[in-house]
Amino acid sequence: MSVETVEAGGRANGPANAGSGDGATVLRVSDLSVRFAGQPVDTIDGVSFTLSAGRTLCLVGESGCGKSVTSLATMRLLPEKAARITSGEARFEDRDMLRLSRREIERVRGDRMAMIFQEPMTSLNPVFKVGDQVAEAVARHRKVGRREARERALEMFRRVQIPAPERRLDDYPHQLSGGMRQRVMIAMALANDPKLLIADEPTTALDVTIQAQILRLMRTLQDESGAAMLLITHDLGVVADIADEVAVMYAGRIVESGPVETIFNDPQHPYTIGLMSSMPTLGAPKGRLATIPGSVPSPFEFPPGCRFATRCPFAQTRCFSEVPPFERNDDGHGWACWRTPIETIAEAGGHA
Amino acid sequence: MSDRRRDIVIETQDLVRHFSSGGSGRTVRAVDGVSLSVERGETFAIVRESGCGKSTLARLLLRLIEPTAGTVVYEGRDLSSLSPRQMRAARARLQFVFQDPFSSLNPRMTVGTLVGEPLIVHTGLSRSERRTRVGELLERVGLRAEHAERYPHEFSGGQRQRVAIARALASEPTVLVGDEPVSALDVSVQAQIINLMEELKSDFGLTLVVIAHDLAVIRHMSDRVAVMYLGEIVELAPADALFDAPGHPYTEALIAAIPVPRPGREEHGEALGGDIPSPLAPPSGCRFHPRCPYAVDRCTREKPMLETAGRGRLVACHRQKELSLAGVGAAVAAGANEKALRRFELYRQHAEGNAAGSG
Repeated sequence: MSVETVEAGGRANGPANAGSGDGATVLRVSDLSVRFAGQPVDTIDGVSFTLSAGRTLCLVGESGCGKSVTSLATMRLLPEKAARITSGEARFEDRDMLRLSRREIERVRGDRMAMIFQEPMTSLNPVFKVGDQVAEAVARHRKVGRREARERALEMFRRVQIPAPERRLDDYPHQLSGGMRQRVMIAMALANDPKLLIADEPTTALDVTIQAQILRLMRTLQDESGAAMLLITHDLGVVADIADEVAVMYAGRIVESGPVETIFNDPQHPYTIGLMSSMPTLGAPKGRLATIPGSVPSPFEFPPGCRFATRCPFAQTRCFSEVPPFERNDDGHGWACWRTPIETIAEAGGHA
Repeated sequence: MSDRRRDIVIETQDLVRHFSSGGSGRTVRAVDGVSLSVERGETFAIVRESGCGKSTLARLLLRLIEPTAGTVVYEGRDLSSLSPRQMRAARARLQFVFQDPFSSLNPRMTVGTLVGEPLIVHTGLSRSERRTRVGELLERVGLRAEHAERYPHEFSGGQRQRVAIARALASEPTVLVGDEPVSALDVSVQAQIINLMEELKSDFGLTLVVIAHDLAVIRHMSDRVAVMYLGEIVELAPADALFDAPGHPYTEALIAAIPVPRPGREEHGEALGGDIPSPLAPPSGCRFHPRCPYAVDRCTREKPMLETAGRGRLVACHRQKELSLAGVGAAVAAGANEKALRRFELYRQHAEGNAAGSG
């Protein structure tokens, strides 16, 4: 149903392989589509990307663009009755995550594939000590005794730079600050040396000075472990800080992807450009901010063509009716738009 | 503060608000001795760390809660001295836009009722006049008059924030206090609301007080900025001065911590270490000293006062005179890529051209 997947699903062509790409492929998602019960179309439509060892891919987009659903589908955390995977595969260590049994999935999750979510308070059990929760995560996947698991928890607390780690092991989640809770979550996620770390807005709930600490920590730990990281965020500042590759999502499709420098220096898709130019900057203010008019349409309002057409200042008739193919150049930079490069479009107001 | 000709709309003096922490008998010092004055027609921003009683100050400014100590003076009158009736009149002029427009709008009321309600309270308009006025207000904030028939849940986050703004405007305020007015919104929608607030500010001659944590938003909108840490103002300065050359180490750290959307940028400085101390037990001396890279012995013992440090600037730091702190310059001066900037400009022209074309 979507043209863009033809190319994007191509082997060894994923965004994360584009740049220097020294790392081996860890996760390859191809042509992933998800349909929610009662929805007229696949909300997630033909999403493809590749993650390599030691590299970070940021999935960027605004709320409702499908970035979280994409990651939840990959981890098989979507409720199966309400959200049906209608196509695609997610190859992780030569197995298709989308076709593993429940039991097999549970063996992978929290072990070789680990997750960090936005709000650590809801991911940690409030009635257990944080040290025990990390130890439990180790014991679930490793044949280790109580003491060994606890030692591993302590070691992880040190690695995520929790001060006075011995004492903190016996704290309950509510006794820790938001930043410390997120460190505990990272300790738990990394306790079993995962090959793949999926982090969904891991710093969004944190104060900006604490966010900077956590981002720095995540980068250091990734350098040490060589894990691949899929980081989901709406914050382009965070993207510039931490990504090797970027995939920009809009209304359930990847509209542009490529190496991080390319995305910021040579943005092509009007949505990417609109997103970047509507951000206020720390530089001296220059009058009105550019905006993306309107808001994200519901799946019932998706045009049959490009889903951004309803808000795109450059849209033509064709954009509404035909899905633009996702085309990638030799630098690993790809996008799906009929109108690019936008420099070729004549004067402002030249609305065809 | 020496200039007597300044036209002050709203002013606080040693404003304090403590909360007792559930049963423990300890005190949360949410606002702890804040003095500031907002000039007519300016946008005054208050930056503070996330969490810990964020909206307390905003609520104090509108006297939605009572201060533990200190005063709020609006148009020369102490709010606590006003009778309930005078307070109602004052409140019409002091309006509030909250962070989450969903929880601040009664879901059972139509948008027309929500926006029309202040008109009943504060004006003598007839029913049909109110109806017309509601339509005008909705159109003024970028909605349509027929949206009056709908309920809040039928709108997106950005549209709900427009409804909240229309409601605030209905009572013809002079001061609009925004408590994280755009932080719950997506970037593209956030830009719409920021533009709208700036337009309304100039059209209606409003004074804006914006309480936020996002420094880029604050940089874009404000004339003057107060930076708070653990309930106290540590620096207050004109926005340009504050961002170009911060006067307090916490301001410097905040600026350095902002992730800038420019890849490959050199890490500037060390990330600020340590955690935010509990407001239940703020550190001795300067409250920032346990995290401050420049702290000396004196900072641990002696509390620095907020003192004049150059033109229109107040700083509470013992080492203010000797420190030369890094501003935004390094982070931003590199400039975005030419090609990208050209496309941003092209995008802006087309986006505005289309907006103008569609009315």
